[in-house]
Amino acid sequence: MEGERDKRGLMDIQEEDFDVVVRISREDDIAIARQMAKQLAQEAGFSLADVTKIATAVSELARNIYRYAQTGVIMIRKQYQETNNPTVQVVAVDRGPGIEDLDLALRRGYTTHERSLGIGLSGVKRLMDSFEIASKVGVGTTVVVEKRRRKF
Amino acid sequence: MRFEERVVPTIKIGDCLLVPIQIDLDDRTVEQLQAQLLAEIQEKRVRAIILDVRMVDVIDSYISYTLSETAAMARLMGCQAVICGIQPAVALTLAQMGIELRNLMVARDLEHALALV
Repeated sequence: MEGERDKRGLMDIQEEDFDVVVRISREDDIAIARQMAKQLAQEAGFSLADVTKIATAVSELARNIYRYAQTGVIMIRKQYQETNNPTVQVVAVDRGPGIEDLDLALRRGYTTHERSLGIGLSGVKRLMDSFEIASKVGVGTTVVVEKRRRKF
Repeated sequence: MRFEERVVPTIKIGDCLLVPIQIDLDDRTVEQLQAQLLAEIQEKRVRAIILDVRMVDVIDSYISYTLSETAAMARLMGCQAVICGIQPAVALTLAQMGIELRNLMVARDLEHALALV
């Protein structure tokens, strides 16, 4: 399903286009990625609620990299499509084992890990405004999520 | 329990153990906290642990999982677990993700928590 997109769009993401790049290879990197995301979202003027949602989503994505692929990268950037209405985009890339069944992986409560609620990916989808995932067994997984700043 | 094994300083109030969490909870810290609390329950014979998370900015699925698991373990040791002071933004995030914090009693603040146990 996502195979076509996989070849063209999601896989040619350039690190230099991002404001923050965090390499995930140790457990501590999960907290680092989370902190960086929080800082960037705060700088972009997001509400505390949305800063928390973005930081939590990054925490989940970074943990998935660490757990299932061991190493990978979290990239974060601010984008300004319209004036004064920035979007925070988070890209999680790994060259891990890939996900065989994306629908199953996105199902709430499904997990292959023994210490998990199985809520990570589906939770990220709920917390963010947009969610895209591409994965290929033996090649890796890319997740792209975005959140727009809301005016209150 | 030796001081250096503690990740969070705790305070015993009556037969409750107050656990004010004032650090960023990463995966390792929350696992160390679990081990610390189980040891303190046994050592201090408290009937309840009260986790005060007023200062915690992010509670994700793994932190929730480990806190719920700690509460289940505490219960098996005859000890209740209460969480209090969840920030509005954290509550919003947890609710949106559908995380229930199973096994934990939830209180508004410390006073409410002490009244619950």
